[in-house]
Amino acid sequence: MSSLRFARSAFRARPSAFRVPLQRRGYAEAVSDKIKLSLTLPHQSIFKSTGVVQVNIPAESGEMGVLANHVPSIEQLKPGLVEIVEEGGASKKFFLSGGFAVVQPDSQLSINAVEGFPLEEFSIDNVRSQIAEAQKIANGSGSEQDIAEAKIELEVLESLQAVLK
Amino acid sequence: MAFAWKAAGLTYNRYLTVAARAVRRSLKDGPRAAAERRGNMDLRFAKWENGKQGEVKSLAKANDEALAAQAESK
Repeated sequence: MSSLRFARSAFRARPSAFRVPLQRRGYAEAVSDKIKLSLTLPHQSIFKSTGVVQVNIPAESGEMGVLANHVPSIEQLKPGLVEIVEEGGASKKFFLSGGFAVVQPDSQLSINAVEGFPLEEFSIDNVRSQIAEAQKIANGSGSEQDIAEAKIELEVLESLQAVLK
Repeated sequence: MAFAWKAAGLTYNRYLTVAARAVRRSLKDGPRAAAERRGNMDLRFAKWENGKQGEVKSLAKANDEALAAQAESK
């Protein structure tokens, strides 16, 4: 926390540094590049072009970490955990229900999902009871759609159970 | 394997709906009540022919039936 405060004051002190000759170069100035993250749901925007250090996303092609100046790309997301590392090393974790992440050329990352919540809002008991229910349907003799939907639910719930443990 | 649902005739839209529903149901009771209201959809439509309104149907139900019919015809 104290390092964060130091970084902030260094940032604020910059304009005056133009007037007097620069005496020394601080660490905070050397690593200034951050990625601008927008994490949006249809009903809420959790991050709005906020500068963060790193974002780990569960892409369909595999887990990936996105830093500043990442190669532009579009990734489909699996239902899974998105980890956002902020300045100072603190990280925030959200579970998203699946969507898309777009990395734009100017160090911007937009993540769109249908539902996304911080981990502490989930209840492991509700997850377990849903898994039991979905397994019954998936192994039952329902229609092809019902079984496919139960399998989607299982994929979501098992990934959720793994991160809640 | 990743897209087993596609083989069963589900659309990506349907996939997202089902995944979001499972996430909402996994919430603690407080936030869940607020979130589940977002999953509800109640749209109705009717087809007009020769100036007369046809039967009023629920969009969700009509979609499910169309999906089932599409999968069977494959």
